[in-house]
Amino acid sequence: MSVEQGLFYFLAAFSVALALIVVLAQNIVRAAVALIFSFCGLAGLYILLDAEFLAAVQVLIYVGGITILLLFAILLTSRIAGKGVRVLNEQKVVSGIVAVVLMVLLGLAATRGFEAPAELPKQPENTPRIGTLLMTTYALPFEAVSILLLAGMVGAIFLARKEEK
Amino acid sequence: MDFLIEKATALGVPTLLAQVGAMLAVCAVIILYISVAAMFMIWWERKISAHMQVRLGPMRVGGWHGWAQSIADGVKLLLKEDIIPTQADKLVFALAPIVVFATALATYVIVPFGPGLMVKDLNIGVLYYISISSLTVVGIIMAGWSSNNKYSVLGAMRSAAQAVSYEVPLVVSVLGVIMIVGSLNMQTIVEHQAGRWGPLPWNWMIFGGGLQVVGFLCYFTAALAECNRMPFDIPEAESELVAGFHVEYSGIRFSMFFLAEYANMFVVAAIAVTMFLGGWRGPDFVSPLLGATLGPKVAGVFWFLTKSYFLIFVMMWLRWTLARLRVDQLMHLGWKVLLPISFINLGATGLWLVLKDMR
Amino acid sequence: MDATATTTLPQGISFERGETGEEMYVNMGPQHPSTHGVLRLLLKLDGELIKDCIPYIGYLHRCHEKIGENRNYIQIIPYTDRLDYLASMYNNWSYVKAVEMLMGIKPPERAEYMRVILGELQRIASHLIWMGTFGLDLGNFTIFMYCFREREMVLDLFESVSGQRLNYAFFRIGGMPMDFPETFYTDCVSFLEWYKARLPEYDRLLTDNVIFQKRAQGIGSLSREDAISYACSGPVLRGSGVRWDLRRNDPYGIYDRFEFKVPVGERGDVWDRYMVRRIEMEESARIVEQALAQMPSGDIMGKVPKTIKPAPGQVYSRVESPRGELGHYIVSDGTPNPYRYRVRSPAYVNLSAIAAMLKGCLLADCVAVLGSIDIVLGEIDR
Repeated sequence: MSVEQGLFYFLAAFSVALALIVVLAQNIVRAAVALIFSFCGLAGLYILLDAEFLAAVQVLIYVGGITILLLFAILLTSRIAGKGVRVLNEQKVVSGIVAVVLMVLLGLAATRGFEAPAELPKQPENTPRIGTLLMTTYALPFEAVSILLLAGMVGAIFLARKEEK
Repeated sequence: MDFLIEKATALGVPTLLAQVGAMLAVCAVIILYISVAAMFMIWWERKISAHMQVRLGPMRVGGWHGWAQSIADGVKLLLKEDIIPTQADKLVFALAPIVVFATALATYVIVPFGPGLMVKDLNIGVLYYISISSLTVVGIIMAGWSSNNKYSVLGAMRSAAQAVSYEVPLVVSVLGVIMIVGSLNMQTIVEHQAGRWGPLPWNWMIFGGGLQVVGFLCYFTAALAECNRMPFDIPEAESELVAGFHVEYSGIRFSMFFLAEYANMFVVAAIAVTMFLGGWRGPDFVSPLLGATLGPKVAGVFWFLTKSYFLIFVMMWLRWTLARLRVDQLMHLGWKVLLPISFINLGATGLWLVLKDMR
Repeated sequence: MDATATTTLPQGISFERGETGEEMYVNMGPQHPSTHGVLRLLLKLDGELIKDCIPYIGYLHRCHEKIGENRNYIQIIPYTDRLDYLASMYNNWSYVKAVEMLMGIKPPERAEYMRVILGELQRIASHLIWMGTFGLDLGNFTIFMYCFREREMVLDLFESVSGQRLNYAFFRIGGMPMDFPETFYTDCVSFLEWYKARLPEYDRLLTDNVIFQKRAQGIGSLSREDAISYACSGPVLRGSGVRWDLRRNDPYGIYDRFEFKVPVGERGDVWDRYMVRRIEMEESARIVEQALAQMPSGDIMGKVPKTIKPAPGQVYSRVESPRGELGHYIVSDGTPNPYRYRVRSPAYVNLSAIAAMLKGCLLADCVAVLGSIDIVLGEIDR
C-alpha cells in the first residue's frame, strides 16, 4: 500500500466519520464544527486528485465562507450564551435506511459505471487552465452564476432589513 | 523541504521515512522560529510603545533593556492554572486555540525566506495563503461561543464579521500583482521583481505597473484588519468589551491566541514584502564572505527579515498612534472605501497590461 | 443567562413602552475600565443600538454631608478635597467662599490672586486627566502618557506650594495658609512655556485625527433645551450652545480682571464638549500668566475671628470647576458646626442627562459619551 493509498483511506475515513458526527450530534454547534473538519478532509482528497486549485477554493469558500455563515446563523438565532441548541431528530430509522440504500446505489454506480484508468494522468498546472476555460468556453455560465449571486445578495439584504415605521 | 528529502534519500533513507522526517523537521524549525519571533516581537512592541509614550518599557529582566521579559512572561503563562468556565463546551473550548494557532502555523508553508528557502514552493502559493487565513475566523467563533459569555460571543461575531469583510479587499488588492506576474507562485513573484538594474528598489512591484502603490496601501490596511490590530482591534478592545472573544482564556490557551496573532502579523508582513517590496531581493554583500552557495541564501534571508520587520514596526507604530474605529465605521471603511479602491486598482492594472501588450 | 430575570428596576422607573422583546440588558460596570470609577450603567440594547440607560450610583458614597454636620467649619476643609479628587482646589475654594460669604469676610488681594492661579492650574491638571483618559477609552494609549507627563509637572508645582500632590486642603477661611515658595514663579512660568508647546502635539494625536473625529462628531448630542432643563453646567452646557460660565456671568473673586475666551459649542455632541475643554486648557494657561504678572504683594490672610461661628443664616456659593457649577449650600444655626451642609456636584447633575445623550447611539459610543461628560465618582456619590 503506497503512501497515497494510505493517505486516501485516512482522509476518506476522517471525512466520513466527521460527516456522521454532523448528522448524529446533539449539539448543533458541535455539528457545525465537525462539518468544518469534514470539508477540510475533502480538500485533502482533492489534493490527492491533483486538483490543487479546487482544494484551496474548497477551503476558502466552504470553510471560510459557508460554515461561517452557518455559525453566524446559529449564534444569532439561539439565545446568546444559552444552553446548546438541541437537535430534534425523530426519523432516525427511516433516514438510516434511505442513507444505506443511497450508499449502495452510489457505490454500484461509481464502481460499475466508469472506466477508471490504472493511473491518473499528470495534470498540467490547474489554475491557468481553469481560468482560461472560465473566460472562454464557460463564460456564459460564469456570468449567469454571478448574476444569481447578486440576486441572492439583494434578496438577503432586503429580507434582513427591518421594516421602516 | 524538497532539498532535505533529496539529501535524505541520497543517503539511503527509505522515501516514506525521508518525507515524513523532513516534514517533521521543517515543522519543528517553523514552530521554533514562530516562538522566537513572537517573543521578540512582543518585547519589541513593548519597547516601541514605551519609547513612543515617553517611558522606558521593560528594563530589568535579563539585564540589557529587559530582553528576557518575553521569556519570563511565556513561562508565567505556561505555569498558570488551566481555568475552564463550568458551563463552557469543553471540547470546543479546548479546540479553538489549537485551530487558531494551527492555521497561523500552516500559512508559513508559502513564506519565501530566501532563494530556495521555502517549506514548499506551491504552485498556488497566494491562493493557499488566502484560503488558510480564512480558517482563523472559524477558530475565533469557536472560542467566542464556547466561553459561554455574552461579551465573548459579541466579540467573536464582531471579529468574524470584520475578518470576513476585509478578506475581499485583501484578495483583490493582491490580484493586481498576480495579474502582472502571471503566476500564483511566491518565488516566481519574487524573481519577477529582478530587473536590469539588479536587486534595486525600483524593480519592486510597489512601483510597478498600474497603481500598485494603491494596491499596497489597500493590502496593508486590510491586513491590519485581518490581524485584529489597531485601529481595527474592536474584538480585543480592552476598554470596551474587556478582551472580547478570548476573555475566558488563561494560561497556555491564551498564549496560543497571542502567539497566533503575532505569527499572523509576521506572515502578513511577509506576504506584503514578497508581493510589493521585492521579497528577499537585495544587494548581496555576504557572498564574498560565505561563498557562492551559502552567500545568496544568507543575504536573501537578511533582506527578507529586514523588510518584514520594518513593516511590522510600521504596524506597531500605527497601533500606538491611532484611536480605535467603531464597528460600523470599520465596516463602512472595508466595504465602501477599500473595496472600490481595490477594484479601481484591479481595473487600472488590467488597462496597463493591455496597453503594454499593444505597444 | 437571561438578564431580564435577574435585573430589578428601581421603583417608579421603567423603560419605555414598545419593547419588542428582542432587547438585551447589558451592565457596564461597576467594574469596568472605562466607567472612570465605580459606576454601573444599565443599558437597554437593541442589537448595538442603545435604547435607554440608567446609571446606578452610590458605590462611593461616604456620607460626606452628614460628616459635615458633625465637624466644625475648619475641620470640614480636608473633607472637601476628597469630593472631586481630581480638582481638589475648587472644592476647597467653593466651600471656603461659602463660609466667607456667610460671615462677611473678604480675603485680601494677594490671597485672591493665589486662589486664581492655583485654581486655573488645577483646571489644567483636571483637563489633562480628562483628555488622557478620554483618548485611552477610544483606543489611543499614547495621549494618556503624554497628558500625565504634563500633569506630573503641575503636581510638582502643587507639591512645592502645599506639600501635597492630590488632596491639598490649602484654602482657609479668609485667605491662604502659606505664601508661594520662592521657586514657584520661575517653575510656573517654565511649566507654562513647556505646556503651551505641547498642545499642538495633543492636537496631532487627537483633534486632527480623522478616526478620533469620526468617533466624536455627531455622537451623543444634547440639545440646548435639554441641557438647560437638565441643569447641566460647565463644558456640557457650553458644548450645547449656552454661553454660561460662572467666571463671566456671575464673577466671583477677581475674575473680572482677566481676559479669557469662553468657548461655546454648537451641536452639543461629544466633539463640541471635547473642543470646549481643549480650548479651556489654553485659556487657563493665559489666565495664570496674567495673574502671575498682576499679582501684588501683601497679606494672604484677612481678618478672621478666632472661632468660626457664623450667625444663623444660609448661603449658596458656587464656583466654575472643571466639571461645571460646583456649589456649597450651608445653613448655620450659630454653633461651630453647620446645621446643614450640602454640596451641589456638577458631575452628578451632568450624569443625569446621559440617557438623553445616548439616544440613538451605538454601544461603542457609550464610552465616548461618558468620557465627554467627565465624571468623577467622588463628587457624584459624595
